Amino acid sequence: MTVALDIDIDLARPWNTLAAATHPTLIDTTHITNAAFGFTNIPMAVWIDENGVLVRPAEAASIERSPLRDMEIPEGLPEQLSKVMHAVKAIPDDAEAYRAAILDWVRNGAESRFAMTPDEVIERSRPHSDDEARARACFELGEHLRRTGHADSAVAWWKEAHRLDPQNLVYKRQAWTLVTTPAGATEYDLMQGPNDVYDSNLVDEVSGEGGFAQFIVRPTL
Amino acid sequence: MILTELRTTADAFHSSTGWEPKPEGLCRGEICVPAPGALATDGSLDVTIAAERLGMPIVHDVEHGLWALGSATLGGRALSTAVAADPELKTFDNEPFRLSSLRGKKVILLAWSSY
Repeated sequence: MTVALDIDIDLARPWNTLAAATHPTLIDTTHITNAAFGFTNIPMAVWIDENGVLVRPAEAASIERSPLRDMEIPEGLPEQLSKVMHAVKAIPDDAEAYRAAILDWVRNGAESRFAMTPDEVIERSRPHSDDEARARACFELGEHLRRTGHADSAVAWWKEAHRLDPQNLVYKRQAWTLVTTPAGATEYDLMQGPNDVYDSNLVDEVSGEGGFAQFIVRPTL
Repeated sequence: MILTELRTTADAFHSSTGWEPKPEGLCRGEICVPAPGALATDGSLDVTIAAERLGMPIVHDVEHGLWALGSATLGGRALSTAVAADPELKTFDNEPFRLSSLRGKKVILLAWSSY
């Protein structure tokens, strides 16, 4: 099953419709699953067994190598676009191994070497201090305020969420895209470049040495 | 969880946080954290006491008269239990959906976004 971490269902819906999935597809406009499962980026996944117990904590989840990894980056692109494309190409790829792990778990269940014990799941879940917990509250406040007509106040709380939990790329990209996406657009801006509202942006944060990898929780396989 | 006062119902707290207030404490999965004084006999919950026991920070927006409850920090990990949370979510058709409806099946819950 999938869950869209999207404040605005209308901008997520076209992608969901296009996917035409046969599994349950959900929308999480308040990002409650971020806190509940530890999602800090996308795509990330948790594995849950037949008894409702997690056997793998939140980690990067791809089952197919993205064609973007192998793309030729044309010369002469706008600088920001070129930076992001280079950063995308450098994203670590665990798709083949992750897909194999899923299939092994499907076949072997609790006997799969990829299924963790409850203690392992907890221990390998993301560190969560007062800062991260407070960031969650700030993000939720921001979402509530934006939804109830106080968008400017939302920004202030989202800035605080970013400061408290700089590793949470979902909190950042959700906030950034709301200011970099032109009014009336039918799709979110994916680049989330420099803007007048936030001091940080996606282009600058992934163009540096850490790239996208600094925000990725690679599956331990 | 967004609040307009620091007292709520036990049901609302459970629904929003996944922690169920019981006479023995605040419970989730196999864990119960004692919280004397949190749960009143009328079923209301003192959020300040509950939050302190679970390590949940409370953020106050003075201008708008709102409080927001952060997630629990027990154990210093995102997960304090391996029992999967079961928040009520919505489908794209606005129908309610709970993860527990898939009990009996292996589930991979994958998060994505349109941005």
